Amino acid sequence: MAVYRLENIVHRYGGRPVLSVEDWSVAEGSITGLYGPNGSGKSTLLSLLGFIEQPSAGQIYFKGAKTGPYNGDIRRRVALMPQESYLLKRTVYQNIAYGLRIRGDSSNENKRVRQALSTVGLDADRFSKRRWYELSGGESRRAALAARLVLKPEVLLLDEPTAGVDAASAQMMKKAAADAHLQHGTSIIIASHDMQWLEDICHDIVYMFSGKILGKGGKTFIFGPWEKTGPGLAARRMADGQVFEAQNAPENPAGTAAALEPEDITIHASRKRLPSGKSALKGTLMRLSLEKHSGRVRASVSVGHTEFIVYPDPQTLALHNHQPGASVWVAYHPDRVDWYRVSADQHQAADARHPDRF
Amino acid sequence: MDFIFQGLAEAFTLLFTGDAETFSAVAATLKVSGLSMAASLTIGIPLGFALGYLQFPGRRQARLVVDTLLSLPTVFIGLLVYSFISRQGPLGDMGLLFTLPGIAIGQTILALPIVIALSATAVESLETGLRTTLLSLGAGRRQLVLSTLWEARHAVLAAALTAYGRVMTEVGISMMVGGNIKWDTRTITTAIALETGRGKFATGMALGLVLLMIAFAVNAGVSFLRRR
Repeated sequence: MAVYRLENIVHRYGGRPVLSVEDWSVAEGSITGLYGPNGSGKSTLLSLLGFIEQPSAGQIYFKGAKTGPYNGDIRRRVALMPQESYLLKRTVYQNIAYGLRIRGDSSNENKRVRQALSTVGLDADRFSKRRWYELSGGESRRAALAARLVLKPEVLLLDEPTAGVDAASAQMMKKAAADAHLQHGTSIIIASHDMQWLEDICHDIVYMFSGKILGKGGKTFIFGPWEKTGPGLAARRMADGQVFEAQNAPENPAGTAAALEPEDITIHASRKRLPSGKSALKGTLMRLSLEKHSGRVRASVSVGHTEFIVYPDPQTLALHNHQPGASVWVAYHPDRVDWYRVSADQHQAADARHPDRF
Repeated sequence: MDFIFQGLAEAFTLLFTGDAETFSAVAATLKVSGLSMAASLTIGIPLGFALGYLQFPGRRQARLVVDTLLSLPTVFIGLLVYSFISRQGPLGDMGLLFTLPGIAIGQTILALPIVIALSATAVESLETGLRTTLLSLGAGRRQLVLSTLWEARHAVLAAALTAYGRVMTEVGISMMVGGNIKWDTRTITTAIALETGRGKFATGMALGLVLLMIAFAVNAGVSFLRRR
């Protein structure tokens, strides 16, 4: 069952559309990652999912139920930790107990607050009585997480929880989130730039750009400027001078991004014996990582600052002894490129039936 | 210079021997300022919150009016209240002229813009993330208002203190609306004005000292609260 289902969501700030999601669901009990540059709409999406704001248009279903404005009961089943987690001007203990108290749920309060503090690695005896200004950045972020965990929410929404905190704090927060999922089956949605963490913990990663969900993780996106090179043909000069060529390009490729599915990209040690019909670009193998949930090995290849995501089969990796730092060729089918409109101001020009995709 | 020191010495004598006339003025001051502060905080804090927190058409204009009212002269308020509660005035039948509640009405008008303007500023200067934080922890609308005010408590307290200082030390309203009636509506400030006019500096100074002591006691109390 889906914990969230979003239908035709549009959200505007001052008349300007900042988020538009046609159809998206999140499976119950899953961990979902939101990945994308600053300003791509991750925080806005989390704020809608946390029922802090109401979408300007569209419908959000929570566990199958329609949600409307000021639905306090549903809001209390979800806990959002905002990006700038603000501690109330009270002691750490009172901060953690706040959510319990406004729910009128004060049974075993002391025990639960102490437990929540220890989950995020803060010693209750040392920290309970501290005031909001007596904590470091990492400690106050952990206290803010404890204030959400103590509520045992059905859904935990984390907005860049580890950004700007020390490594030890980040580690403890990651563990606390994973424990909440394991012990209570909490569904978690995390917006983060920490791809490695997302790959490690998430069942599903979605890529966001310019207020849109551009599909599941693993896609490689190539953003403009595009040059029209023929009918249906567009080219993008990469930072190192190589040219990425693609077919099926829209009439006006300005404001669009080209996307490649990982299975349509392969890596090769040399340019010889490339599969027919494929184009190739030379890059550097940056990272090999294991995706825990799928068991696949994910390779990141940098081509002139653009990251290509490939899932090479283990035999290829072993045969060519690919190591990070090695020069490799990434090959792709130019005719299997998908095009997405990413800039909101050109929205009108897009196909009416599939406003985001050509 | 001698009369000043003499005045100070006499001041202590008056205070520590429990001079009845002095204590009557002190009691009148405390009673009337207590009444006007209770009224202005009850009305002013919710209005200040609304002005600082809510977005509504005409908000800026309302703010401008409140800020202008900060400079209301006390004698003008005295005149206004006098004309309303005097026999010929619309509220003449209530018999409020030359009574402590009459003075309290005038002082409430004096304190109200201060409480409204400063608590609006207090709420406005809270961090923008506060609303999201409270909502994300499950606060309903009532808790949102109460917790927001609690977050601004230090600045709201400062607003109350500023208003209290203004109310305690004003002469115009007390003199015009209260009439400076001995044993009844004579407050510390009207007594000082009277005693100085009569050349009795010592009594005036004693009363001035009492005023300062009350201010000290209130501030000490607030400072204790602020540390908690």
